[in-house]
Amino acid sequence: MKILTEHETKKLLIKYGIPVTKESIANSPDEAFAIASQIGTPVAMKISSPDISHKSDVGGVVLNVGAHEARGTYDRIISQIKKVAPLARIEGILVQQMAPQGHELIVGLKKDAQFGHVLMFGLGGIFVEVYKDVSFRVIPIEKREAIEMVSEIKGYPLLKGIRGRKPARIEAIIDVLMSVSQIAEKEKIIELDINPLIVNEGGAIAVDARAMME
Amino acid sequence: MLSSIFEPESVAVIGASNNVTKWGGRILKNLLGGFAGKIYPVNPKETIIQGLDSYPSVLDIPGMVELAVVIVPYAIVHSIVEECGKKGVKGLVVISAGFSEAGNESGEIELVSIARKYGMRMIGPNTLGIVNERARLNASIIGRLPRPGYISFITQSGSLGLALAEWTIATELGLCKVISTGNKAQTDDVDFIEYLSNDPSTGVIAMYIEGIKRGRTFLDAARNISKPIVVIKTGRSKRGAKAVFSHTGSIAGSDEVYSAAFNQAGILRVDTIDELFDAALAFSCQPLPRGNNVAIFSNGGGASIVAADECERQGIHITDLTEETREKIRKVIPKFGSVSNPIDTAGTVSFKIYNDSIKALHDDPNVDAIIVIYVHTMISNAMPPAEAVVEMKQKCDREKGKKPIIACWMGGLGTEEGVDLLKSESIPNYPVPERAVKALWALIKHREFLEKIKIQKAKPGD
Repeated sequence: MKILTEHETKKLLIKYGIPVTKESIANSPDEAFAIASQIGTPVAMKISSPDISHKSDVGGVVLNVGAHEARGTYDRIISQIKKVAPLARIEGILVQQMAPQGHELIVGLKKDAQFGHVLMFGLGGIFVEVYKDVSFRVIPIEKREAIEMVSEIKGYPLLKGIRGRKPARIEAIIDVLMSVSQIAEKEKIIELDINPLIVNEGGAIAVDARAMME
Repeated sequence: MLSSIFEPESVAVIGASNNVTKWGGRILKNLLGGFAGKIYPVNPKETIIQGLDSYPSVLDIPGMVELAVVIVPYAIVHSIVEECGKKGVKGLVVISAGFSEAGNESGEIELVSIARKYGMRMIGPNTLGIVNERARLNASIIGRLPRPGYISFITQSGSLGLALAEWTIATELGLCKVISTGNKAQTDDVDFIEYLSNDPSTGVIAMYIEGIKRGRTFLDAARNISKPIVVIKTGRSKRGAKAVFSHTGSIAGSDEVYSAAFNQAGILRVDTIDELFDAALAFSCQPLPRGNNVAIFSNGGGASIVAADECERQGIHITDLTEETREKIRKVIPKFGSVSNPIDTAGTVSFKIYNDSIKALHDDPNVDAIIVIYVHTMISNAMPPAEAVVEMKQKCDREKGKKPIIACWMGGLGTEEGVDLLKSESIPNYPVPERAVKALWALIKHREFLEKIKIQKAKPGD
């Protein structure tokens, strides 16, 4: 069993054509500054460690960082992690494009002992834990089933745009679901979360992700 | 072949007894209660059992033995099954227990390997037996043969499975086959649904499942079966207390996965035992509706509103009737009744009201299915409307494009005669509107499955 960091998981997603945030790992304050300047600020900065999968729970995430704050933020996150998780292996700090505005969704995979890989789709972010407004399909799925997965959640009207909220590009969600279905067939995944997948009128982008491989 | 188990020409009962309170005595008695083929009791301690010659061993039986029912202590099961193999027995129903259900995996593997060595098909071990009403074959501990029907029921072993089988018999639900799966050592749900899908006397497969052995194979098999499969799956699993890595992992418990998988394979999952048999009953005697447009006809406004509310919950559309239909109904019901769907006769009941109205609804192109409700009162008689439904059903059976008619005779005391008539004429009848609506939902849902999932494999509309 191997746990992929966010950045490693994103590389896997890119391989299957899923759009992800622009990002790179910084190993020093100067690198953090350079990457932030290159991506364009503000950026998000996140601890990258195979031992820490829930990064914000340990104070390992800082959002809206300006170019000149990048160096200081780098040091702050590192010392924070050394304090709360002294044994965690640190690979560096992930410097990342800030997430665009849009609908926060979740797309995930789980290998079920009985039926094999199961694909999950639903409202992401904080909603996923409270409302559990999700749909499931056993892999592989056809496009028709991906369309059903999106339309059968209770929050579907939100995605269509309601009361001034802008709609999400449904086609982009379908594409992500089909790609993740492919990942399940070709990679040795035990669990995978893309959460959130941010979707707006322009398209979909994986903002955070984690995976557990065989 | 499973046909050696369900349609044998001869049966040996190994471990037969004169004492009918013992399983070996009970099963022999059950077999004698209807089965027309040869029956051979086997027990070395007896010479005559329940009036039949008893044999010390299956090898001593003079004729051929197609099916052996094994009810012997665990210690001798393997040697008995070995003897069955040598005798040329083709099918085994192993009632004996003490295998994987008791943590004894190796004993079970050995049993399967003996059966396989001789090419025998085995149900069990630890099964309560099987019933095939068509062959009047009751090789089980289920008390008596069921009323003939088109429902085949597969149940995972256990007292609940037995109680359910007994209950279907008590409620006179028409059954074809009952299979207690036992430990599913050599044959499992996949084999059973495939066998039943090719069994011309089975119209609908009802299943009580605690767990499935070969998940993916089961889904693939089910997807290729056009007969309705209605399932109650129990054991909503607890998610482990261990820290969960992903949100997906924490939400996708095995129960959610079962639901998704069943839905993808066109298996109807229901939540309650009532729903399981209610749906099975509707499937066993009614055609599938073309669409989800229902007409509700009742002599009581309250009952039809309950039905309409449940339709709403199940996504069944209360259809608009054509003006022609409304006119036909207007002619027979009182002025203060409602000719709009749901139709309400404002309490009046007669053969003509029910007959003419149901006929009009059946002829209406906007209507795919009809729910007929009768609410019993001190001044009404449950028989005439039941007769009207029966006459309409018989008429529809002769015509093309027949539509399902679901009945709901409410009130219990005083309605028995009408209820019995409906039952004897294969009209599915339910005591409350919600159950009638849910049974109709099952028909509609299966039609959707046929169109969406099974369309390439099977032709809808049988």
